[in-house]
Amino acid sequence: MAEKTMCISQQQTKPIKILKWKVSEGNTVSIGRVILLYDFDGASKVEQRKLKVTQAGTIFKIVAQEGAIVKPGETLCELKECTHPTVMNDMCAECGTDLRKNDVSVAASVPMVHAIPDLKVSEELAQKLGKADVDRLIRDRKLVLLVDLDQTLIHTTNDHIQPNIKDIYRFQLYGPNSPWYFTRLRPGTHQFLNNIYPFYELHICTFGARNYAHMIAAVLDRDQKFFSNRILSRDECFDPTSKKANLKALFPCGDNMVCIIDDREDVWSNAANLIHVKPYHFFQHTGDINAPPGLDKHENDNKGVDLTKIKDQKKDEQIQNNDSKATENDSDKNGENVEESKVENQVSNESESTKNESKENTEDNEGNNKDKVDENKNGDDSSEQKIENVESKGVNGEAVTNDEKPPPEESKTQTEGDTKTETPPETKNAIEINNHLVEVEDPDDYLSYLEDILKRIHQAFYDAYDKMESGEVPDLKKVIPGVRSQVLQGYKLVFSGLVPTHIKLEQSKAYQIAKSLGAEVTQELEDDTTHLVAVRPGTAKVNAGRRKKNLKIVTPDWLWCCAERWEHVDEKIFALNSKGSKNRHPPPHCSSPEHIISYPEHNTPAMRKRTPSGRFMDTINPLMSFSSADIADMDKEVEDILDDESDSSDEEKNAKATVVNSEEVHENSSSSDDSLGDHPKGFKRKREGGDEAEIDLNNSTEDDETPSVKFRRGETVDSEVDMEPDSQDSDGSVEAPDEVDDGEWNMMGAALEREFLSNN
Amino acid sequence: MFYHISLEHEILLHPQYFGPQLLEKVKTKLYTEVEGTCTGKYGFVIAVTTIDSIGAGLILPGQGYVVYPVKYKAIVFRPFKGEVLDAVVRQVNKVGMFAEIGPLSCFISHHSIPAEMEFCPNVNPQCYKTKDEDVVIHAEGEIRLKIVGTRVDATGIFAIGTLMDDYLGLISN
Repeated sequence: MAEKTMCISQQQTKPIKILKWKVSEGNTVSIGRVILLYDFDGASKVEQRKLKVTQAGTIFKIVAQEGAIVKPGETLCELKECTHPTVMNDMCAECGTDLRKNDVSVAASVPMVHAIPDLKVSEELAQKLGKADVDRLIRDRKLVLLVDLDQTLIHTTNDHIQPNIKDIYRFQLYGPNSPWYFTRLRPGTHQFLNNIYPFYELHICTFGARNYAHMIAAVLDRDQKFFSNRILSRDECFDPTSKKANLKALFPCGDNMVCIIDDREDVWSNAANLIHVKPYHFFQHTGDINAPPGLDKHENDNKGVDLTKIKDQKKDEQIQNNDSKATENDSDKNGENVEESKVENQVSNESESTKNESKENTEDNEGNNKDKVDENKNGDDSSEQKIENVESKGVNGEAVTNDEKPPPEESKTQTEGDTKTETPPETKNAIEINNHLVEVEDPDDYLSYLEDILKRIHQAFYDAYDKMESGEVPDLKKVIPGVRSQVLQGYKLVFSGLVPTHIKLEQSKAYQIAKSLGAEVTQELEDDTTHLVAVRPGTAKVNAGRRKKNLKIVTPDWLWCCAERWEHVDEKIFALNSKGSKNRHPPPHCSSPEHIISYPEHNTPAMRKRTPSGRFMDTINPLMSFSSADIADMDKEVEDILDDESDSSDEEKNAKATVVNSEEVHENSSSSDDSLGDHPKGFKRKREGGDEAEIDLNNSTEDDETPSVKFRRGETVDSEVDMEPDSQDSDGSVEAPDEVDDGEWNMMGAALEREFLSNN
Repeated sequence: MFYHISLEHEILLHPQYFGPQLLEKVKTKLYTEVEGTCTGKYGFVIAVTTIDSIGAGLILPGQGYVVYPVKYKAIVFRPFKGEVLDAVVRQVNKVGMFAEIGPLSCFISHHSIPAEMEFCPNVNPQCYKTKDEDVVIHAEGEIRLKIVGTRVDATGIFAIGTLMDDYLGLISN
């Protein structure tokens, strides 16, 4: 953009004397800014007069120096025209020029302020402001924390919820006839924000609509102390399925100091500075109401607290109030041995307040009851395995807290009590809460771990910063994986029954999780192995391990728990018992971002396009698109393989497969001469062009496929099946082949469609 | 600037209102339809003061609706470039601040805020203030500003303001 410079000349009739310049070179001036104090030369009494600029811009060069006498018409200074660095509503915010009328190219393109996408600043100014932000953060020894709302700090549903439950806020966003929203804060949210606030500058970053985000912010943060107006909602997101795009605009100097907490990593493209939070799930049958389109997750529809039972719970509570001693005995009976410490804890607390205590008991009891119920269900219905596992794990988690650190637990209950007393004033802001509130047992205590993780990261960042040369800033994208890798540093793990045999150890998710936590993983037991992670007892490794003295044998839940909390969890709770464990697969939130990066597009299958009827196969007979030569070719291939299998060894099979493969390719290209031959060719090209996710999926069916197909893919990709987070069954043979066919037909359908279109 | 001017408006009335209350209905409909609206020429219509005449209604053939031409006087608010106004600050951020003059929103870039005022993001509420904290401008504060540009579109008017002139800035009581 050509910048025009113009001269400001002396307009008076008499020569003037310059007393003082009020600006210096490089300053930005807007209309009416006083740039100069002057006086008429030789005037009888000294009188300061001001010279104002009539046009906005930048002072380029000061020609006349202070003290000089300037005659009329002479140049005082040179002014560069306004470059419109800040633009609001297509209007320059410096000079007020309408940028729609004049055909000026606008440099301002970065929307730097969260909630106002219309306000844009130029790249240059954005850098300057970003730099100022970074400097300020470092001066305050703070970091930036982007906080997701749904399922991270809160859980919201549109289902109607009884209004008498404690800590549930209800509100309407779009007038009196719009749907009600019911929002539950994750236990300890206020505490979490308060504790993390001195270390982090908090930003909300959510896919909720703008007024939803602001409403929730008002609930979380009444005085605008934590978030101020740093709220980024769906209305300001550039990309409806990713939050990553906005980072560049919000932090023009790079995201070195940005840490993210979110319950889903796909919207951040698995960024290394993301802490993948265990999703908070309170209301049944509701996932994330603000999930990005097409990326809905339905995995935990049945999780959460069943609020229909609440009335019974209330009764229970009363009974327990009457007879707290019985409850104690009860919980003692029900619980595992770790429970004992908790009971002791309660006894010591007894003098404090009976109410508090009975509440605790209620929680205990309910937790145990639930556990029991789960076990019962377990026998009945195996399809609900996953949900039950998660739940029983939640109870386990509670036990850990009690065992390891009773004090935090204690303080937590106290703070809960605090927030309870605070609740009534909170309700004033258009949010209603009823007086007769029912306590709901909620085992979620993840925020206390998250707080600890965040504080460790903050510590690590500024330790690194202090060691560096002045001016350099460490990168959180490196610091965060570093902190994570200290969790199990120095431990040596061996897996037993955890990684399917057809998957290489290095490519299993368990391996990557262990690695990201800093542990070393070996294939076989070694002398210095510290932990054996076994799914079930009785494997060769477990038997061998029992003989070793210093080896701890644990279930995979131990590893998942460590990954979830970023801390070395006590092994005793996860000791391998006769039942073994069913959690061979890590829960989806136990991610290891820096490793997953090497497997891009792992969620592609979910995004594959389908024909409106659902399956392409239903609409067109796929055989129609094969030429007879192709079909003959396929027949030949099958025959070859059948021959192979009857008499040859594996090695020969592979060798032969190579031949078949090359033959096939060759013939295919020659068959393109006949009329229909084009479709398979187009299809083939596309496939070989490589949709990796497609190929990954295909691997799950390797048992059903020809060696030639297998070979074409290469050996190494084989074991990535388990990386696929959606495939919950380990064998992957039930539904995967269908999907593959479907995918292939879709590809062909696309090729067909292209052809038709091009003919027209 | 405020003006008291004569304006005209056409009221379209559904046949269900034909009856003794017809003229009353026309009046109430006029109030709801014009007060609070904004036109590029006259600015915001603040309040209808008098209804001068309600002309002869014309029944629309085929529909049954009737159209009344109404002449009325109203107070309008039309911001002009160069005008000095008192405003209430709504939000401050690192790029500048937003203020409201009644129905008119206005943005002041931080370049148009005197250089001695610095943005302080750490205090709550965020504010622009001078070093010696003589002048502190934060949300809800009252300021006097000068309009340097306006953008008129279908839904309203948006203005760009500046504090760079004599007697502009925080209004101290």
